[in-house]
Amino acid sequence: MKKEKQIVQKGLSRRTFLKGTAGSIAAALASSGPGKFLTQGIYAPALIQQNNTVVFAIQEFAQPAIQSVLEKFESDTGLTVQLEGGPVSGNDMLTRYSPQFASGTSSVDLFSDADDSSPTFMRAGWVMPLDEIIPQETWDDFPPSMQDHIRGFLSIDDVPYRIPHEFAVGYFFNRQDLLDEKGLAIPTTWEELVEVGKEVTDAENDIWGTTDALIKPALLYVYVAYLTAQTGGKVFDFDEGTGEALQFLYDMIHTHKIFPETALNQDYTAQNELYMGDKVYFMRQWPFFQGVAEGNAEWYAPEKMVISLPPAGPAGSKSWIGGWGFSIPTYAPNPDGAKALIQYLTSPEVAPVLAEQQGFLLTPRYSILDALKDSGDELIAAMGLYAENNVFAPRAFHPRVAEAQTVVDDMASLFLTKQATLSEVLEQGKELIAALDE
Amino acid sequence: MTTQVLSKPRFRNPFAGMTLRQRFYLIAVLLLLPAIALRVFTSFYPFIQTLYLSTQRFNPAYPPQKFIGLGNFERLADDPVVQASIGFTVLFVVVSTFFQIVFGLALAHLLNAPFRLRNVARTLSLIPWAIPMVIAALGFRWLFDDQFGMIPDVLRRVLGMDTRWLIDPQNAKVAIIAVNIWKSTPFVALVLLAGLQGISRDLYEAARVDGANWFTSLRYLTIPMLMPIIITTGMFMLVWQLAVFDLPFLMTGGGPGFSTTVMAQKIYLESNSLNYGYAASIGVVMVVIVAIVGAVGLFLFRRFDVSE
Repeated sequence: MKKEKQIVQKGLSRRTFLKGTAGSIAAALASSGPGKFLTQGIYAPALIQQNNTVVFAIQEFAQPAIQSVLEKFESDTGLTVQLEGGPVSGNDMLTRYSPQFASGTSSVDLFSDADDSSPTFMRAGWVMPLDEIIPQETWDDFPPSMQDHIRGFLSIDDVPYRIPHEFAVGYFFNRQDLLDEKGLAIPTTWEELVEVGKEVTDAENDIWGTTDALIKPALLYVYVAYLTAQTGGKVFDFDEGTGEALQFLYDMIHTHKIFPETALNQDYTAQNELYMGDKVYFMRQWPFFQGVAEGNAEWYAPEKMVISLPPAGPAGSKSWIGGWGFSIPTYAPNPDGAKALIQYLTSPEVAPVLAEQQGFLLTPRYSILDALKDSGDELIAAMGLYAENNVFAPRAFHPRVAEAQTVVDDMASLFLTKQATLSEVLEQGKELIAALDE
Repeated sequence: MTTQVLSKPRFRNPFAGMTLRQRFYLIAVLLLLPAIALRVFTSFYPFIQTLYLSTQRFNPAYPPQKFIGLGNFERLADDPVVQASIGFTVLFVVVSTFFQIVFGLALAHLLNAPFRLRNVARTLSLIPWAIPMVIAALGFRWLFDDQFGMIPDVLRRVLGMDTRWLIDPQNAKVAIIAVNIWKSTPFVALVLLAGLQGISRDLYEAARVDGANWFTSLRYLTIPMLMPIIITTGMFMLVWQLAVFDLPFLMTGGGPGFSTTVMAQKIYLESNSLNYGYAASIGVVMVVIVAIVGAVGLFLFRRFDVSE
């Protein structure tokens, strides 16, 4: 009988194909469980986590340091921490997490967040307020200059939403050896910067008093904001101080000619090459340059890398600070675990252990400065010097900071390339910033 | 091997009551369905969604989403960056396409001429086109670099030209367009070469007998014969290059100022800032420009009887 029912098929008939396709789709839909789709949406896998797991996203190079302190945390709390590779820039943060957060879900419980994305997450209510999560003892571990930064850039209405774990500040690197050869002192004011710059600049041989990386996007903003901090202006207001900073930069390039015009298309790599090619006497640069220079063993010598206070502008010797920090998403699947982990990682006991291992986890805190004061590290010494002299200025805040920075970039570039006058760019800058607020 | 058919069907045939014609249409629809679904989900839906978003004030970080009619378009009419980006995008596309066609035709002629190692020359000529745009853009950024670059250095040494390239607004535009022409001319040449090979040598012999020189042959024989391909390729290059992003973004970041910002970069910046409504409105403007280019193309197609 069985044999009688067998059909010898010569191939897949159209009818069989259609039936099979329809059947397969129906089976797939049935097995997926419509309930899960309806209740958890497209990010359902992110929600299917056990309550004893805390998912923590941070850039991969920092994970070994984090891993080294997790054993104690896990044994004390019974939680398991799952480390994930975090985005490497603010733009990446926005594109990766915004769709999740906007739909009321999160794939992570705790994450390391950037300056360019954090204000957006804070304003949108996508990260939790940390004032009652982080103990007062931890907040008190930050010196006053950092407190200003936390209350300014990392808070809304004095309520912090992010706690710093990394510290980026523009240090002023000097070629002490070259200055000594010419019998010149390190400039301490804008006026001295110009004077010494004129003494040492030899444009024909591509030797410059100072330089920076001013290429768009973002790098020009960094330097304009640095000079504006020294005038006491507010860079996103396009106020008088911003105008003064732009004019000073313009004069260094076009009037005094101590700053190469070509820096307008220069990135950090080219800037560092100029410095290590003995073409520049002094410059602002991020802390990472210390490591880059030390890595250039043939060239490096401690006397070639003296960090001094930034030349003082009208508002004194200032340099704005920024960096990455920890935040907890509002929709974290395991908020209690995230709170426990952030308290642990930022505690005055654990923070120095992390800072010792990884520069990305180094920030000015009493506990860290105490623990590392005898380390002989140039950056730690510079950090202390800048903290003592109240150099740190809070990073300029705007709720749509990435867009506001682009406006500064564009306006500064127009002025410095002589496409518009100072008054025109200040006026247009104000209008464009106002348009962001609408 | 035995073949036995079941005497009674186990299931009722759902198509039993249908006529052969109805079955034919049903099958046709079912077979077309995947292609239609693909077009709906990858073209029609995104386009409708873009149109819809362009009428909204929508940034997921700043709720609520709000209908603002033509508000986004009013804003972009006053936005100096958008205006500059439209201007440079059109300039970039038109100038690039013109020179790609001109140089492509010249290159195709060269590669069509009989000489030893012609096949090698044809292969080598494609190298610029084969280089990924990102690599070309980064490479030329260094080549044009005013401090370290080879091009300014050679021009300075050989011609005494002390020109700033990527920090001068006009020169930056020239540099970007020049790189684009260099990059895509081989592709145009390849297409035109195929067209050239389709023109009978007899026509050139006849023209020569009638006293035609090289230029008159080009003017009255080659170009008219190639015109359908020139128009098709030109249209393709115009529309394709309207969406340019990588080259200017990597060479200048859109600067100095926003002199080399293209529309796609502006859309990218707005999307990255989650301004989906505003980004969509710029996208709609791009669609309008593409539609205008398409209309011009259709006119030319008819003018030169390409469709016949």
